[in-house]
Amino acid sequence: MKSAVSSQEELLLKSLDAPVNADERERLATGMQENPALRKQSDQYYKIREMLKRKNADSFGPFFAERVLHVIKQRAGNIDYLVFFFFRKYQVVILGVLVALLLANLFLSDNITLKSIFGLEGETPEDIFSIDAYKDLTP
Amino acid sequence: MENSSDESLIVKSLAGDLNAFKTLVVRHEGKVAGIVRSLLGITPLAEDIGQEVFIRFYDELHKYREHSTVNTYLTKIALKLSVQELKKKAKTHSAYEITERVNGHEEQKGLNEQLQNEFSKLDPDVQSVVVLRLVEGFSVEETAELLEVNTSTVLTRLAKAQYNLRNALTIKLKL
Repeated sequence: MKSAVSSQEELLLKSLDAPVNADERERLATGMQENPALRKQSDQYYKIREMLKRKNADSFGPFFAERVLHVIKQRAGNIDYLVFFFFRKYQVVILGVLVALLLANLFLSDNITLKSIFGLEGETPEDIFSIDAYKDLTP
Repeated sequence: MENSSDESLIVKSLAGDLNAFKTLVVRHEGKVAGIVRSLLGITPLAEDIGQEVFIRFYDELHKYREHSTVNTYLTKIALKLSVQELKKKAKTHSAYEITERVNGHEEQKGLNEQLQNEFSKLDPDVQSVVVLRLVEGFSVEETAELLEVNTSTVLTRLAKAQYNLRNALTIKLKL
């Protein structure tokens, strides 16, 4: 750009967006009076700036906010599902371990009563209260 | 709800009130649309990016206090995401393809469309400056702050963009 742009045009461009000092203002005013090409360039720059200003859009169209909220809600739903799925996977594992323990207990004893499954076979209330931790509760 | 301040709407949104967040979206949609559509055109992609801006804002509501205003915060996200898209596009389309696309139907294009095409050929960083300063009307200082560059960089990019646009439009359409 530097090679092609004249110093007057450079000053003109600067004046469009930044303050110019007294000397620059005078040079620009003289240039505008004496140089019709610079006046034309000035008109063109203002026209381009006007056109760019009109590019401004004021919305994305109807129901944009609703669409944003829909995505947010949908995403929240997906997160809930992921949390549920994650815990469900572990629920199945825990349940599997419990069943395996109960089955092991069942096979280790030669009995299929509930007491044998829970490892309480042959235990009486006295046996339970004889455990140190329950001593104070002994009737 | 419409008269509430941005801050109180953010507090309500953080508490799970989606209507409060909707009011924020409606209030700031114009600013985001202006930036995103100026950079990406009126396309479905621009709307997707617009949605992404607000979704990111929603995800980061708790961080909002770090920023000066909602407007500034959204402007920064909108710019960042749009420029990312522009750079992605620039990688996939060669300059030749873009020029061919523009020249192919030149006669049918109006001045505005031609301006949009010439604008899209500018470097994404230069486009950002033009959008903030000339489309959205931010001051040179605000533009510099938003883009985290100094004011002389803003002025240089503005001059470069306007010079290139004027040259292209003068030759092709006798502006």
